[in-house]
Amino acid sequence: MRDPRLRIAATILLSTAAFMSMGGAVIAFLWWLLFTPRLKAIPHPRMLFGVLLMITLTALVSEYTGGLGLSYLVRMIPIILIAAWAYFDRQESELLDVSVWLLGNRIGFDIGLTAEMGLQSLQLISHDLVKIKQAMAIKGMPISVTSMVPLAMNLVVNQLRRTEEASKLLTVRGYSAGGEITPRFVTTKADVSLTFIALLTFSTSFWLF
Amino acid sequence: MRADLDFIAEREDFKLRCAASYSEGVHLVSGIIGSGKSTMALVMASLLQCQGSYSTKGVQRTILSMQFPEYHITSSSLDDEVRSWGLDPRDVLPRAGMEGRGAIDPFKLSRGQLKRLNLACVFALDPDILLLDEPFSSLDCMVKSRVCKAIESRQDKITMVFSHERSVLPRVDSISHIADGELRYHGNTPDAVMQWSSPPPYLRKALERGARPKNIALQDSMEALCAIRD
Repeated sequence: MRDPRLRIAATILLSTAAFMSMGGAVIAFLWWLLFTPRLKAIPHPRMLFGVLLMITLTALVSEYTGGLGLSYLVRMIPIILIAAWAYFDRQESELLDVSVWLLGNRIGFDIGLTAEMGLQSLQLISHDLVKIKQAMAIKGMPISVTSMVPLAMNLVVNQLRRTEEASKLLTVRGYSAGGEITPRFVTTKADVSLTFIALLTFSTSFWLF
Repeated sequence: MRADLDFIAEREDFKLRCAASYSEGVHLVSGIIGSGKSTMALVMASLLQCQGSYSTKGVQRTILSMQFPEYHITSSSLDDEVRSWGLDPRDVLPRAGMEGRGAIDPFKLSRGQLKRLNLACVFALDPDILLLDEPFSSLDCMVKSRVCKAIESRQDKITMVFSHERSVLPRVDSISHIADGELRYHGNTPDAVMQWSSPPPYLRKALERGARPKNIALQDSMEALCAIRD
């Protein structure tokens, strides 16, 4: 989907539909299956596998202790898959564009800028993780439970340093609050159709099991 | 001792082709930022898969010093950080100019200080192949000169210097340059000095004035210019 406004709207609608009911989750999963590049749209398969594993374990514990574990699992899977697709399909600065379009140049700009910086941090953490693993391999240190502490510390400290640098840079450039941009969007017929189907999924999920 | 390269390495949408052989001595691999120097270093450190082959002969240990030294930190004190390399802090910290500071948290050091510490550790390890990815970054000229001397002293081992440094360079045995996704081996010094497609400004000026430096250090260009005047 080229229009980020519709992609974000479809993501929210489908995620809500999936969380509302098992039927909504099934239709949301079908939407993901039919209208996205499916497994090709998963940026980090290992990370996704880890998330799914955690959800499965939580569901098993819940089911075992008398909760609705299976239902939770069925509802969470499409939510994760759709989130992965939305993350994969995103373009640079589109969150800022959408936020400004929705809330204006003052609050919208601040929220959008924060969201963009958050996403950038996620990408940098992923890059840092690769580099730290390589550095540990150079020292002959295996990735284990004990090595998690220095690894996590390294990630956190690097991120804090970057945040400090970014805040100084914004201050030097005269940023205090808000900003001015004119977002432009390209909307295709497919975008509208897919969002409409997502809206139908959302509406029907209230009446499904 | 020998390292033979004939591979293609891919990272995201970038492709690097390398074909060269390196034996004992100091070898410079130059190239602009993003040209692929780190990619080549990662392959030689066996940290990145490649198509083709990378093989070594008579090499027991390869160590890579990464461009950003903070990635190497795994301990909460300088003493423990040096020990994490299997080294004695009493030997290494004085070399890094940090004697008596073993209890300090490495994250409290500046990037330049961390670089000094990291270089002191990797030189102390004395590996058969030492891969130095941008060893001069974040360092002042005095420390750069000391690093050059440490590099030049490793004549019986293989030392690869991956750098875009333009002011302080060590004397090297061969020069290679990466451009357009390909490693170009210019050969051994002194002949390679004339072939080098990307010499630093002082060397370029010396060559333009008709001087024939024997090597790439600033001292070599100055000596060659003096020889012309004589």
